[in-house]
Amino acid sequence: MSDAELATPFRQRAGGAMKDAFLQEALTIATTKFIGLRREAFAGFPEGEALRDQARAIKEATLQQLDHHLETLIGNVERLGGHVHYAATQAEARSIIVDIARRSGARMAVKSKSMATEEIHLNEALEAAGVTPVETDLGEYIIQLAHERPSHIIAPAIHKTKGQVAELFTRALGRPAEPDPEALTRIARGELREKFLQADLGITGANFAVADTGTVVLVTNEGNGRMVTSLPRVHVAVMGVEKVVPSFSDLMVFLAILAKSATGQKLSVYTSMVQGPRRAGELEGPEEFHLVLLDGGRIAQIDGPLREALSCLRCGACLNVCPVYRQIGGHAYGYTYPGPIGILLTAMLEGTPAVRDLAHASSLCGACADACPVRIDIPRMLIELRREIDDQKIAPWTERIAFKLLARMLQSPRLYRISAKAGRLLQRPFTRDGGIRRLPLVFGEWTRTRDLPPVAARTFQERWASDRDLRA
Amino acid sequence: MTTRVEFLERIRERVRRAPQRFQASPTRRPAHPAAEVETIRRELAERWPETLEAFRREFAAVAGVLHHVASVDMVPAVVSRIAQEHRARELVSWHPGALGVDLGSALATRGLDVHQMPGTERIGAAEAERLRALVARAALGLTGVDLAIAETGTLVLVSGPGRPRSTSLLPPCHIAVFDRTALVESLRQVGVFLEAWHGDGRPPAGGASINFITGPSRTADIELTLTRGVHGPKEVHAIFVEQPIGG
Amino acid sequence: MTGRRASLMVTCLGDLFFPEVGVSIVRLLRRLDVAVDVPAGQTCCGLPLFNSGYHADAAAVARRTVELFQHSEHVVVPSGSCAWMIKHEYPGLLSGTPLARAAGELASRTHEFSQFIVRVLGVTEFTAAVPGRLTYHDSCHLLRGLHESQSPRTILGRLKGAELVPLPGADECCGFGGSFAVRLPEVSSQILAKKLANVESTGAGCLVACDAGCLMQMGGGLKRAKSRVRALHLAELLDGSR
Repeated sequence: MSDAELATPFRQRAGGAMKDAFLQEALTIATTKFIGLRREAFAGFPEGEALRDQARAIKEATLQQLDHHLETLIGNVERLGGHVHYAATQAEARSIIVDIARRSGARMAVKSKSMATEEIHLNEALEAAGVTPVETDLGEYIIQLAHERPSHIIAPAIHKTKGQVAELFTRALGRPAEPDPEALTRIARGELREKFLQADLGITGANFAVADTGTVVLVTNEGNGRMVTSLPRVHVAVMGVEKVVPSFSDLMVFLAILAKSATGQKLSVYTSMVQGPRRAGELEGPEEFHLVLLDGGRIAQIDGPLREALSCLRCGACLNVCPVYRQIGGHAYGYTYPGPIGILLTAMLEGTPAVRDLAHASSLCGACADACPVRIDIPRMLIELRREIDDQKIAPWTERIAFKLLARMLQSPRLYRISAKAGRLLQRPFTRDGGIRRLPLVFGEWTRTRDLPPVAARTFQERWASDRDLRA
Repeated sequence: MTTRVEFLERIRERVRRAPQRFQASPTRRPAHPAAEVETIRRELAERWPETLEAFRREFAAVAGVLHHVASVDMVPAVVSRIAQEHRARELVSWHPGALGVDLGSALATRGLDVHQMPGTERIGAAEAERLRALVARAALGLTGVDLAIAETGTLVLVSGPGRPRSTSLLPPCHIAVFDRTALVESLRQVGVFLEAWHGDGRPPAGGASINFITGPSRTADIELTLTRGVHGPKEVHAIFVEQPIGG
Repeated sequence: MTGRRASLMVTCLGDLFFPEVGVSIVRLLRRLDVAVDVPAGQTCCGLPLFNSGYHADAAAVARRTVELFQHSEHVVVPSGSCAWMIKHEYPGLLSGTPLARAAGELASRTHEFSQFIVRVLGVTEFTAAVPGRLTYHDSCHLLRGLHESQSPRTILGRLKGAELVPLPGADECCGFGGSFAVRLPEVSSQILAKKLANVESTGAGCLVACDAGCLMQMGGGLKRAKSRVRALHLAELLDGSR
């Protein structure tokens, strides 16, 4: 079998990503910058560690009474005049939102950046229903024009050069655009301003929802979140059930660490707190406010092995430090959420078989757990996923046999010693000058780029058993 | 379609089955937030110069421009200067009732085209359209400030009649006027204010939106190059008035 | 004699591929007046099985290990990953079994090599077996699992005849990750390439680490590139009698 036939689709995508010179440069620059910004932000913030512990505790406490807090949230949203909807699946969520759009008579919907709406593949459904979705976050706007999906949780177009963006704008808008970020931003501002002012429907996600007061919180930098939640007549917020926090006092803990973890900013430019539709006498604000609560696989993890992953704030810090993400970027993962947390979320939302290969897209280095503002132990859950993959026999049978043999060997000193001797024999044709440069089968995966030390002529235990002076 | 009952029941089942990882509780909330707000205000009243200094530093760090005037009648001169720098005349402003002072004629005298947002009157659809177009055209937006957070250089604005969201959002230049009574030190203190506004106290206004504004709109989405004024304002000015505005 | 005794857990990679590291550790400990023994019939701590999700098998291997070392006063391990496995995962793997208590006790008596030298024996002064400029790579399990970044640097900083230069990105993974190195070899190799570029940039003649997996990965890359940089385990660097 050739290497290409052995390689999985994920490996092929990863390989392709590593051959993309611009992507490689963009990834190195972006992740290095984000890491530095985050480090600086927390270096000047000694309360940070205690706040991270507190954030962890709030998330855990909330999960322990999630039904109660959601009930409180629902009651308050309705008291403020909003409507709450319940989506068990992605399909249901799409259907609910399309229905709201139809009833509102909207022809166009302006969208603020929302990974939840990416997750449920909302845009295609809106288009099919005759509602044009317009992404207004600059990064999302760019990838929408390019018909691509985001490659990073908070910087969706990080893989695009300014030249590529200029080309996109030129083609989409029919007038020449300079490959200069200032000029391109100005163009986007002008184009999207029109849309904000005309749209009947605004769709957002939600970073948090404060149960105690029915407040939906959006954290943005560009201002599109404010536009989308103030100008159109109808506002729909799509939110995973795990985003609820009990009170404003809890919210402030998360606000203190979220932007620092994501971009190193003390706060993002806009933290918008939405409390239902407009009140009497307000000039702006939606007349209708809808909150769509999304399950999509989250609820099953409340008592599942991926429970901790429900604490995720979607800050992207784990992506930036992940040695795998830094080499392959977001698209190679093949699902909505990339990076370390992305593997867990994909398992949660698409099922364990979906991460048969992704669960091993990690050297278990632990940098992600270190960086996570809510201290999610991602490596432990990756190992848990690998265990499920083995238990459910999803792993290839060749691998399972290999590990069974290994397990046997490691439980029997006799088999272990025999294997060492066998190794010494088998390696002889491949050993040159005290090193091994080429091996067949799966071991060839190592030797393609690295030398391998040979099995020692005498193992340490053999020397200890026979060398008197070593024992003395 | 899933009903609320079904949805919540599904969650309840899982919550019941889940083993408790560790003892955890949410953040301790102030028992009497309104009283605690008063305490915070009293303490801050004594050290407002330090708080202002901290705010100035953080505001500058997020590219905000802070101005300092002795009294509110010196505000129009600052606004006029900013307008001249922008070679602009059209300004929209919160209603005087929301600002705490009427600067309309003083600004008009300086050559500005001032449109004050309506107060509590009912606005018809046509009038709302006209106002929206006006705000979208205006170069400058003048607002007050409900809280100015020193820790992060943030302006907190509550929406409501007379203080629409668009004034601080649509015009490319946002000018916010405040005095020492708006200054707070930390996000933690802001949490107490928010608890009070929704608990045993009252919010500064009755709108459905509270906005934390930390400098001008920005993005780094293209090659991580920072640009400002993406959708929101490109410039944010804050004018600190030493003599409290209400008198 | 200090009366101190330590058992050497040589680890599977150490035993099979880097026996000289085990020899150096034995000699070093003896010179520091520690009586060393090596329980016979060692195989592996079980980490490769554990990391790939074969937990029942990992538990079986853990049981063997706990029994093998149950009489040891201290257990010294040349690899941070193996020490981590015993200290952090053995108690969980064997909880609810008859060996649960023994596993907990073994965890508290097990030390990674540099931690044993500095924190248990309190020794920090050595002479470099290989003089010149050297640089140090933090193995992930030692750094983030055992929270240890100081002990090796304390020794290396005071090493007579050697100059320690900081490695850019010292705390970044080398790309080994066990089976990861052959499951995603392209990614593993690219991570390694970046690590080695950092190593070469220090001008060091010697790269030091405290984990056999890292040394296999980085040493393998350096050899393939015919680099003049040698990858050594800390113990080899301290063992002047070679």
